[in-house]
Parts: sequence; structure tokens; C-alpha cells
Amino acid sequence: MKFAYYPGCSARSTCAELNEATHLVARRLGLELVQLDSATCTGARELRAIDPAAFYALNIRILALAERERLPLMTVCNTCTLNVLDAHAAFVNDPSLAKAVNECLAPEGLHYSGRTRISHFLWVLYEDIGEARLRGLIVNPLSGMTVAAFYGCHITRPPLRYGFVDSRNNIALERLAKILGCQPIDYSGRTECCGFHTAAHDEKVAIKLTGQHIASAKMGGAKAMVTPCPLCHTVLDGFQREIEKDMSEKLDMPILHLPQLVGLALGLSPEALRIDRHMVPAHALADYAARDPNLIGKP
Amino acid sequence: MSITPSPYGFARYLGRDENHDTLAARNTRLSRGQVIAVEIKRSEQNGSFQRFHVPYEPRMRVLDALNWISENEAPDLAYRWICGSKMCGTCGVRMNGREVLACWEAVEPEMKIEPLRNLPVLRDLVVDRTPFEKKVASFEPWIERRKNYTEFPEALTHKEMKDAAKALDCIGCMCCYSACPVIRLGAVTDFAGPAPLVQLGQTALDPRNDPAKIKRSLTQTGIFNCVSCYKCEEVCPAHIPIVSQVIEPLKTKTARLLPHLAKHSLALRAVVAARGRVDPTALLLRVQGLRVLAKIPRALRLLVRGKIDPIKTFIRVKTAAYAAAHRILSKGPELE
Repeated sequence: MKFAYYPGCSARSTCAELNEATHLVARRLGLELVQLDSATCTGARELRAIDPAAFYALNIRILALAERERLPLMTVCNTCTLNVLDAHAAFVNDPSLAKAVNECLAPEGLHYSGRTRISHFLWVLYEDIGEARLRGLIVNPLSGMTVAAFYGCHITRPPLRYGFVDSRNNIALERLAKILGCQPIDYSGRTECCGFHTAAHDEKVAIKLTGQHIASAKMGGAKAMVTPCPLCHTVLDGFQREIEKDMSEKLDMPILHLPQLVGLALGLSPEALRIDRHMVPAHALADYAARDPNLIGKP
Repeated sequence: MSITPSPYGFARYLGRDENHDTLAARNTRLSRGQVIAVEIKRSEQNGSFQRFHVPYEPRMRVLDALNWISENEAPDLAYRWICGSKMCGTCGVRMNGREVLACWEAVEPEMKIEPLRNLPVLRDLVVDRTPFEKKVASFEPWIERRKNYTEFPEALTHKEMKDAAKALDCIGCMCCYSACPVIRLGAVTDFAGPAPLVQLGQTALDPRNDPAKIKRSLTQTGIFNCVSCYKCEEVCPAHIPIVSQVIEPLKTKTARLLPHLAKHSLALRAVVAARGRVDPTALLLRVQGLRVLAKIPRALRLLVRGKIDPIKTFIRVKTAAYAAAHRILSKGPELE
């Protein structure tokens, strides 16, 4: 199984551990990743609002790069996923937009015909690897780890588009956690927003919103939270000190990227998965890691 | 009733069937005479929930259950409805944690019914819409024109009216306002909220409106505090794409008419144009300027963990991503 892989900006900067973990886990899962190194930012939420033409051009370019490789596209960031999904939908529904974008891409020798399949790592686990095969690859069930799944927004909403349903129904992460041997907990923040998209100009929304979610996960007994989005991770982990200050409460909640949680169950070492790189120390989770060097093996 | 298969991967809708969240599932889960357990938040009883047992009738709606309770067990129950057919927008409530129109929602075997959030409760399920109405009034929600009609009927293309027309589908039910997490934070921000912005969109996105008047309204929206979570769209009974076809076009207008309010969005564009990808430190420096000095302790913590790399921030490498972004973004966004 081969994918064109788009890590996005976060996984190449503040969340570089996500990129490292994704590559290691993909190898264990038998996924071959062709990283699209010349791909640009998808424009976050900002570009689509202030310069739609440039937004479509940058995102369709990413899809065209994957199409040139004749590969489906795999992402690891929720917002990037929705951006390329939105751009793809606009492209196939608006022939004049499609023509304009292709004219813009032509100087690079790129052309998009609308054929790239877009998938997030979470969806790849279910749809391309499959639950049965994944179960067979688990060498280190994470028994006893209570985990709070934090979905984020942009791979669960907007509703009624791209196959999304009412986001509160989502169970993909909890079901996956069970496959990995963890015990998922129920809490109020699972499909709520982390507020990342206002954080660059004003952090207080992100701090207030996310504080409630972490507190609710802690009250539910979670030893860790797991998220499929590096932007959510940035707020949950990177802002946790400020959140604690705002709430006057110690939270100490380790936050894992989804591939890191999967990697631990596949027997990869916490060091290889770079769980030491989080702002909130996650070393307590190393207790759940495989001890047998034969299981850990080489990444 | 069969469910149309989705052309999309199944991982996106895992949970829908398990939670019986389809109309077909809801209409077959209960049969005539079965008892539905309904709990309603009563303001006269210190906000506690009162429990009722309602006999199910086929195709029963939440409103039918409320009517049965009012007629048989609690004549003092306060709730609103006028049309009963998804037109008047008065019967919005929260049922099992989600905003619904009572007249358009199938009952569930167990229901917890509460008033909408983010508005003062007048009594039981009736909320005070005054904060919303005041905000909308402050937007001067009408069209002012600088020029007379050029002809009659006036030439207006479908494309020109696309976004305003979507906003015109609003029935003012306040479901989105109740679901908005930023409004829930209260005075932390000056965000107007989805429902008032949809009302504003009806006129501000109309190409005939005077830009000077639109500009006045847009200064009062706090629109860049929208977190783009799509919670509003999730509950909108009129299926208005509130984020993508109302809030984002209003942001586009704000960036054009009042660029100082869109400083961070323009900064992100400039960073991508200069680097191909976002360097978070470069973005923060551009957006926050000297305010960033207050964040030095955090910057040091990030540095220790290897999360930021000042060398990369200050010594730019011209990558292939840079070349592409620079070419595509070299023409600035249109500013009026």
C-alpha cells in the first residue's frame, strides 16, 4: 500500500515528533509513504477566508502532486484534510474554477484532473489497513491505559459533507483505542473544539475552551489524551501550562499524537516515537511500552 | 427504508448506525404504546429535571411529546411553538445534548430536554431572544444604495447572490447560537455569534449594499474570533453552510474593507508567500509584534523541547514549496 504523504506545516515544525512517529508506524503497518516535500501550506483557516483564489491554487496543487505520483493522499492534520477536501469539491463542481487553477499550475508542469483520493491517517487505519490486520500487528496491547479521545473539528465536521455525520456519533478513535488494548473513557470534550484557529492573534479563547476539555478528561479518569490533529495537540499540550494557570488547577495530562499511541501498541519504543518531545511530560506512559527487546526490534 | 450508500470511506461515519442516528432507525426503534422517558429542565423547580412518561405514537416528534405532557401532566410547562412545520423558528430546544427544532425531531426512547444555551431563560424551555435581537439591530440590517436602479428588473446574477441567498434561508431559531462554543465563553470575546452573523450576511453579502454601511456593521462583529468549529452548521435545521458561505465571505469582506482587523490572516498569507510553509515563530512575530516579548518564558520551554528552531526562523531556505507559494501568492488579495 502506497500513499502520497502530506505532513502539513505543524508536523514539520512544532510537532515534528508527529512526522517521525508517522513514518515509523507506517513502516510497521506496511504503508509506503512518498512525502510530498514540495507541497506548501494549505492556508490554515486564514487564507481561505481572505484570498479564496490562492487557497484553491495551493490546495489543488497538493492534490495534483499526489495525482502525478498516481497515489492517494494521506494527511495527519485535521485542518489540512478539510482544506484539501473543500478544494477538491470546489474543483469538481466548478469547471471555471478548475480551468483557472489548472492554468495557474501549468507553469510548473502540473495538472489536476480531480482523481486524488483523500484520506486521513485515522481513516487509513480502518479503510486501508483494516481492523483485523491491525489486531494481528499488535504486539504490545496497552492494557490499563485509560485514554480520552479528542477528535477535533475538521475530520468530523462540517456535517452532511464528505461523508461526515453528526460528530457526536463518532466512535472511530474509541474503537481504535480498544483495538490497541486501551480503555477509552467517555467525557464531554471528545468532539469539541480546541480553539487553535484564534490562537495566533488571541490565545484566551483556546485556553478557556481547551481547559474545560482537559479537566473533563481528567475527571473521567484518563491517563492520557490522544488526538489525530497536531493543531489540537499544540493547544492541548503546548498551552497546558497557561491553561493550568487560568484554571488555577494542576492538570498534568499527557497528550499523544494518534500515530504515537498506535506505535506503542505496535511495539515501538517511546524514545523512537519521541514522546519525550511533548511539553507535558509523557514519560509515565513509557510504563505501557513493550519491554521485550525482541518485540521492540528496529524501527 | 434503505440508507443510500455513501461514496466516502466508512471510517467517517462509524458510530452513526451504532447510535441509531438515522431517521429510519429512529422511526423503527419504538412502537405504538411504548413508554418514552422524558426529563425536562424546570426553571420553577430550581432548574431540576422533572420526569414524565409519554406513550409513543408512530412518527412522534419532540413537540408532540411536549404537547402530550402539557395536556396531561404539566399544564404549567412553558415552551414555545407557532407553526409546527420548521418555518417559524420558535421551538428550538436541546434534546440529549444537541440543539433541535422540537417540531422537526423524532423522539428518542429516553430524552433529556433543556432550554437553548447562551440566552437567558424566561421560564422552563422559553429563552429571551433580546441579546440576539439587539445585536442584529446594531448591524443596521437593511440595504442602503449609493446609486439608483439602473434598470428594472435589476440585473443580478445567481453567483452574485449565492452567499446572501443561503443566509436568507435562516429561520432565526437560535440553535446555532446555543451550540457556539465561543458565545458560551461570554464576555471573553466580542464575537457576535453565528445567528446574528447570518442575519448580517443577508444584507452585507448582497452586492447592492453600500460598502460604507457594510464597513460600519463589520466593525462590530468580532468575526475573527470564530474558531471555525462548524458546531453551528451541525445543528442548523435550515442546513445553511454558516461557516463556509456566511462567516467566511464576511471575513473576506472584512479583510478587504477593514484590513487592520484581519492582520493575522494577512500575516499568515505573507509568511506562506515568503516561506512556502508556516513557521510558527515567524507568524507570531508578525502578528503580535512586541507583545511576543511576554511569551519569552514559553518560547524558552519550546526551545528546550526542540519545538521551535530560531535558526530556521531567521535563516530562510528557498525550498520548492517556497517557489510555488511565492508564485501563486505574489499577487496580493484584492483590497478595497
